[in-house]
Amino acid sequence: MIHDLLHARTGPLTRELLRTPGEFGLGQVPATSKPDATTRLVCGYCSTGCGLTAHLQSGEAINLSPTTEYPVNLGMACPKGWEALTVLDSPDRAVSPRLKNSRGQFDAVDWNRALSEFTGRFQAIQAAHGPQSVAFLSTGQMVTEEMAFLGALTKFGMGLLHGDGNTRQCMATAVVAYKQAFGFDAPPYTYADFEESDVIVLIGSNLCIAHPIMWERVMRNPHSPEIIVIDPRMTETAMNATQHLPVTPKGDLALLYGVARLLIQNGWIDETYIDEHTSGFEQFRQFVEPFTLSEVTTQTGLTSAQIERFAETIHRGQRVSFWWTMGVNQSHQGVRTAQAIINLALMTGNIGRPGTGANSITGQCNAMGSRLFSNTTNLLGGHEFANPQHREKVADILGIDPNVIPTESSWAYHEILEGVLKGKIRGLWVICTNTAHSWINQNMARDILSRLDFLVVQDMYHTTETARMADLILPAAGWGEKDGTFINSERRVGVVKKVRKAPGQALSDFNIFRLVAHHWGCGAMFDKWTSPAAVFEMLKQCTRGMPCDITGIRDYQHLDREGGIQWPYPDAESIQVPVTNRDELTDPVENSKHNVTAPNDDSHLASERRLFEDGRFFHSDSRAKFLFEESRPLTENPSSQFPFLLLTGRGSASQWHTQTRTQSSAILRKLYPQQPFVELNPQDARQLAIQQDEQVHITSQRGEMTATAFLTHNVQPGQVFIPMHYAATNQLTDAVFDPYSKQPAYKACAVSVSKLGRTSLV
Amino acid sequence: MTSTVHSQLDQQETFNITRPLTGDDFLAQLLHEQQSLTAVEEFSQSHSAGTVPAQAKYYAKLMPVKAPQPGEQYAFEVNLDACSGCKACVVACHALNGLDEQETWRDVGLLVGGTTTNPVIQHVTTACHHCLEPACMTACPVDAYEKDETTGIVRHLDDQCFGCQYCTLACPYDVPKYHSGKGIVRKCDMCVDRLSSGEAPACVQSCPHEAIAIRVVEVETVRENAEVDPFLPAAPEPHITYPTTVFKTERNFPRNTLPADYYSINPQHPHWPLIIMLVLTQLSVGTFAVGLILESLLASSLLDSFRPIQATLALVLGLAALGASTLHLGRPQFAYRAIIGLRHSWLSREIVAFGLFAAAAVSYSAVVWWPGGTSERLAILGGVVLMTGMIGLLCSAMIYVFTQREYWNFSRTVSRFLMTGLILGLATTWLALLLTTVVSQNDRVPQLLARVGPALAWSLMAATAFKLLWEAALFLHLFDRRNSPMKRSARLMVGPLASPLLMRFAAGLLGGIVMPGFLLLNSHPAAALPMIDLKQGVIVGMLFAACLLGELMERYLFFAAVSAPRMPGGLRS
Repeated sequence: MIHDLLHARTGPLTRELLRTPGEFGLGQVPATSKPDATTRLVCGYCSTGCGLTAHLQSGEAINLSPTTEYPVNLGMACPKGWEALTVLDSPDRAVSPRLKNSRGQFDAVDWNRALSEFTGRFQAIQAAHGPQSVAFLSTGQMVTEEMAFLGALTKFGMGLLHGDGNTRQCMATAVVAYKQAFGFDAPPYTYADFEESDVIVLIGSNLCIAHPIMWERVMRNPHSPEIIVIDPRMTETAMNATQHLPVTPKGDLALLYGVARLLIQNGWIDETYIDEHTSGFEQFRQFVEPFTLSEVTTQTGLTSAQIERFAETIHRGQRVSFWWTMGVNQSHQGVRTAQAIINLALMTGNIGRPGTGANSITGQCNAMGSRLFSNTTNLLGGHEFANPQHREKVADILGIDPNVIPTESSWAYHEILEGVLKGKIRGLWVICTNTAHSWINQNMARDILSRLDFLVVQDMYHTTETARMADLILPAAGWGEKDGTFINSERRVGVVKKVRKAPGQALSDFNIFRLVAHHWGCGAMFDKWTSPAAVFEMLKQCTRGMPCDITGIRDYQHLDREGGIQWPYPDAESIQVPVTNRDELTDPVENSKHNVTAPNDDSHLASERRLFEDGRFFHSDSRAKFLFEESRPLTENPSSQFPFLLLTGRGSASQWHTQTRTQSSAILRKLYPQQPFVELNPQDARQLAIQQDEQVHITSQRGEMTATAFLTHNVQPGQVFIPMHYAATNQLTDAVFDPYSKQPAYKACAVSVSKLGRTSLV
Repeated sequence: MTSTVHSQLDQQETFNITRPLTGDDFLAQLLHEQQSLTAVEEFSQSHSAGTVPAQAKYYAKLMPVKAPQPGEQYAFEVNLDACSGCKACVVACHALNGLDEQETWRDVGLLVGGTTTNPVIQHVTTACHHCLEPACMTACPVDAYEKDETTGIVRHLDDQCFGCQYCTLACPYDVPKYHSGKGIVRKCDMCVDRLSSGEAPACVQSCPHEAIAIRVVEVETVRENAEVDPFLPAAPEPHITYPTTVFKTERNFPRNTLPADYYSINPQHPHWPLIIMLVLTQLSVGTFAVGLILESLLASSLLDSFRPIQATLALVLGLAALGASTLHLGRPQFAYRAIIGLRHSWLSREIVAFGLFAAAAVSYSAVVWWPGGTSERLAILGGVVLMTGMIGLLCSAMIYVFTQREYWNFSRTVSRFLMTGLILGLATTWLALLLTTVVSQNDRVPQLLARVGPALAWSLMAATAFKLLWEAALFLHLFDRRNSPMKRSARLMVGPLASPLLMRFAAGLLGGIVMPGFLLLNSHPAAALPMIDLKQGVIVGMLFAACLLGELMERYLFFAAVSAPRMPGGLRS
């Protein structure tokens, strides 16, 4: 006792940090949060789709750790995933509906008042300006069932025509590239391909920071692969590459064409594959003729040796996989660049085999769910609004009148915003996205939002930049507070579960949609939409006969048991019917049939599967198309007034998009600079007399911001880089879009950089 | 809000969804659904039944094959070529160890360098290095650190810690972190109980790229490496504490590779209780010293009225300093534990020395109130006061010298503390003279004033001028070509710490030069009038206050402007 007074080896403070076996297959856990049960769910940040094991006490999640057995992440997670529960406890959570009063301040109101405002204001706008004068903007962050509900409710129940998702900002380019080249939006790969390649080509993709768990899979590759990174910046991923090609921004298209020409010229192509499985190669061969080494070196800033070595590495590789992310997608010529990548895979026969593929890594946790089920560009399940048989099929499954289904697609995101400017869109419902931060040329975007007659924002947080502009805020439950499914980058359908109670009056988006349907007066149309599980059943039926057929998935429990299931996963009945062809929609063709076998209770399909193993694509001739086009110059080249090219991108693995969630974790906040910084080459800094850590002013034709100068050789002279997570960044960007995908080109605009002045005495 | 909603809903019965619902029923049903958690019932759990964690199959190869033998210990091994900078290790450590909301035990820094054609970026994950000679452990006055003999793990005993935070200054790697809410420091323990059951530490088992491993290292190898190994660019040199972490890479970093935060300067924590404690103990020692000098120069009777007042003033301010020092402790109720680190901790020694000083000073100050005390014994007692005080002052200095920060090196720190003692000793003596004239009717007081006044004023002006010039000499380091620690301190002072710097020099000049100058101009040695009138009283008061403020600000800068060593940090803005 006396000894303890003098030297206490244990006591209450020591006990605070005691660890104890967690059981349930876990290692030791903090004794204060020892679970009485565990359950696993898919992470709600990026499209990697990691499995997380929630540690439960009395059914409620009190901690989490990555799921060891999940086939995606193999027991690992990035900081965002580890902190996924923390951000649910934020004081910024929306806990009741909030209505903006005449003084511009928000009053908390109850749901009935909120919904009467919602229906009253929107219906009044529709009465005055037509049903299409109200539109919606949604997300790649909600579960599939909620996306489908939103799309069905707005388009079938509320009479809206236009709605788009923030997925337009991340993967629209990949969608169009795949649809045109393969006949369906079908990323062909499985993550095991990262481990099986002997050559991995990453184009505009910083896996280390944007998708750390996919980089985990690269690091597990036992074949000592050549890793080629094509990126203007020396990123973490480039640092770990065996070849880094610091291409001039948007010079990637010319580079890819030039490499195609080299491969052809040297006979390093797979003529058998080209003959049997592709179309348009001859035209492509002629097209790339002018992309000589001297031409390509001029356009890319690379040396002949670098380009030749790249081509030779592809040639020598037995299993070459090509991966691209936002560096390609967010470009004024993104679709053609993505297709130039696809062309390389096709012409070298690097597709449909382990460790190969032309593979788009997308952004959000449910980007793929949105692509198939958001009911915006496509009718539910990858169908087409214009096709009467598709409308019949979907109407039949949903038990609705086919005539309520629009016969045309929605406007794209920027067309909806332009519609506001033109007075055609008067009311907007923004769900689970943050337009006022993330949309390109932000000052203009905010101006557009301010012109709306009625803006409803439905979000977890009432403090997002967009929520602050709203007339009405609807409080939504977040990830972990609701059930449903996500589909990840490798087409894996995974389950999200309710393991936390939503704060206050917040409701899941699903239940908000049920409530809206009820108040709008179209509740009867959604009688079958009683739960996410019930909707999942209908969505399964919608996919029957489509390339994304998931009729073989029995239920959420089945998904949970299997660690997620990749599409396609047709049931026995579907297997008898060939996959619907995309070109001749009324006449499914025999040769589009997949080489998948029907799953049954005893044996199911492999956990990791890739598409096109039989070399058959979804076009009517079952061939993949070579697609190409002359490269277009940058829309805003550096000038004497704005001499730098601004690159944007992800800043750290601890930040997510507009940071509405990640900024709510004290730990994540410690892991990145709180204030904006700009990467500037020391050579440029010397000319501008800018010192390390100095505050600088960055200006474009559209806006301005201040940031801390980070002098680094990571960026080339004449280029600067600013992470996209800081709200001011998009004040600089230029609203330019890919003509096919209508995806914004965030990654190249002209800016100037100047000293702001100094704060010290010397 | 949540609880209100929930309690209302708990009273609801199960809803019959077949009957038509009113709007309110429907809303209530949805709110009820939102609050019920059913994942456990709906989904069967499958998990490995054994006691080995499922994750073991991934981390097995990252664990040592056998336990350390004599002459060996556990160490972190970081494969820099695999560290991608995702920082999962930091967050996993936080989550799996149940750390507080803001608390992290691991950090990830960034090295950058190279050229435009060959740029380099390298993230570096680091935690406690479980050093061979842990500075935290040596510094700790209460033996709250233990280095395990077998594993070499440096553990912190949370319940033993009394929150003096000395370890946070002593560790060159900025590892121990003070937790103000709990009043203690906490740090990485290499997940010792995980290790002992064969499980990998949280950071090891969570790194997606297997960049962190636990290895057994030979103690002698660590020492040998410290002779030549630069450890990491711009990281503190390893010979100070012999950190055991092994950073391995096959890359050749260009010579200009530096931490991303290499040029950033951040003021350090000022530790106000320590500022007050240091300045006032030095004041006290200095005042006793000035008193003893006067005793040796002047006739004893001349000082009879003055002596008790001066001694009491020195004592009271000295005791206030010791009181202030306990405010620095996170858990002052355990202050008594400080004596147990006497054999190794300068902080323990300081506390003991100043304890003895206080006892001697109390005795001395008591004795001097008795008229006719034998001057010989008084002189001996005074000598004891001075000696213990000087030892205490030296121990104070050694606390900072021990940290091996250049700005706090031996000559700089000892000189600084001695000069503060001298300046404030002189200033306090002036204050004592003022008080003596106010309270004493002794007619020899004017004589004393006339005798010592000019000398005291000139001494103060000289000491102040010397110290201010000496302090200003730091700014010569602004011209250093390298971003040396001294240059960082100078940059901090002229940059973010410019206001306290101006205050320090203004107060120093006012109290140490201008006010004593006034006293010299206004003194009337020829007249037999009491020297200190109201005007003079105000001047002396200002002299004392400004000198004290000046030294307090000097000490603020001592703490805030020090360039603290650390592992490579990330980008700051």
